[in-house]
Amino acid sequence: MRKYFQNIITGGISLIKGLSVTFKNIFIPRITLQYPKQKQAMTERYRGLVDLRKEKCIVCSQCVRICPTACLSLASKLTEDKKKVIESFKYQMELCCFCGLCEQVCPASAVYLNKIYEVAVYSRDDLKIDLLDPEKYAKFDSRVSK
Amino acid sequence: MVSYLDIIRSIFAGVLVLGFLSISAMFLIWWERKVSAAVQNRYGPMRVGWHGLLQPIADAVKLLLKENICPKSADKLTWWLAPFFSVAPVIMAFICIPFGRKLIVSDLNVGIFYIIAITSVCIFGIFMAGWGSNNKYSLLSAMRQTAQIISYEVPLTISVVTVLMFARSLSMQDIVAAQSKYWFVVYPNLTIAFIIYIISATAEINRAPFDISEAESELVAGFHTEYSGMKFAMFFIGEYTNFFVISAIAATLFLGGWQGPFLPPVVWFLLKTYGIVFVLMWVRWTFPRVRIDQLMSFAWKVLTPIALINLLIAGLFLVK
Repeated sequence: MRKYFQNIITGGISLIKGLSVTFKNIFIPRITLQYPKQKQAMTERYRGLVDLRKEKCIVCSQCVRICPTACLSLASKLTEDKKKVIESFKYQMELCCFCGLCEQVCPASAVYLNKIYEVAVYSRDDLKIDLLDPEKYAKFDSRVSK
Repeated sequence: MVSYLDIIRSIFAGVLVLGFLSISAMFLIWWERKVSAAVQNRYGPMRVGWHGLLQPIADAVKLLLKENICPKSADKLTWWLAPFFSVAPVIMAFICIPFGRKLIVSDLNVGIFYIIAITSVCIFGIFMAGWGSNNKYSLLSAMRQTAQIISYEVPLTISVVTVLMFARSLSMQDIVAAQSKYWFVVYPNLTIAFIIYIISATAEINRAPFDISEAESELVAGFHTEYSGMKFAMFFIGEYTNFFVISAIAATLFLGGWQGPFLPPVVWFLLKTYGIVFVLMWVRWTFPRVRIDQLMSFAWKVLTPIALINLLIAGLFLVK
């Protein structure tokens, strides 16, 4: 008989404890974001899309050689004073596995992975990106801002 | 002449009740989602209207446009009638709920008895849905639900009887009038009765933590698995209207109904009712679901004996 009432009382107390936990949670700030309007900043080491700082590139082709999926292709030409300059740098995003090896291997830190994470497109051709084009990621950004 | 007036009055009352009921059900659905979101540190619906206030309307439109699929092997008549059986009794219960001094469709002299009797008919709707669907999950769910409602009706009715002994009347307005000095919930006997009422009412309206008949993880939504479109919406509206009715009865029986200072009676009534609604939502988003054996033993071994002893003590107290 004593155990019966003890059970009921301890049960009731534990229920009230549970209720107090959820009640406190009602008043603490929301941890989710209103996604398209509010954006979460990506972490420092987030690996997004491959990007290029054109002026830093020394055209060593190490990124092309180390790429495990061969998604980068690079062409260069010699200027009149026998300096190598970059002519084209193509990036096939559909092949990329975002391993970041190109960033690690780049001696001039010209190749890096940016913070873009909204990378869905309607056509596969949109995934073939010319890294020398300054507007290359504008379509991702513009869709984002809408 | 009088009969014409009566007819017009009935039609007016019907329209008013149905209008209030659908708006209230929609508001409750929105509020439920908001409370669940608040408890889980989310925002809940935010897109449609101000803070997602029009979301239930969007959902209702979606459900209206959906196809109404009847299973091939279903018991057609039972299957078709079930949603109506689960909504109609709840609407009929509104007849006796006092929103204000004169704001009651009909103050029957058996008011609370009528409400308890008529809301019990909801079991038929659920059982018909489970049987008519010809689906083993639905049938299991309907069986569980029937057992659950019948078991919890006992402590619920006993706790209501305790109130009636204090109020000395079955009419809802008389019960409210009896609380003009103190709310019934302040008497120790009736505090226990109130707690028992709230617990068994939660089981009656089949809400978590007593929602074993809708257990998504084991019974795939239970008795309304096979329903789609407007029929599903009717079950939904019935559930939330029942939720409102149960809270309104609790407010009337224990918290003094529409009585209160300064504010108009309707506002007091709705404040109290929605207060209880909030508590039940809060409970739903806090506790996990109980097992069927725990549920039954809780009703028969804990609630019913305590309610009976409470009734006995109340009787001794009133005899003096």
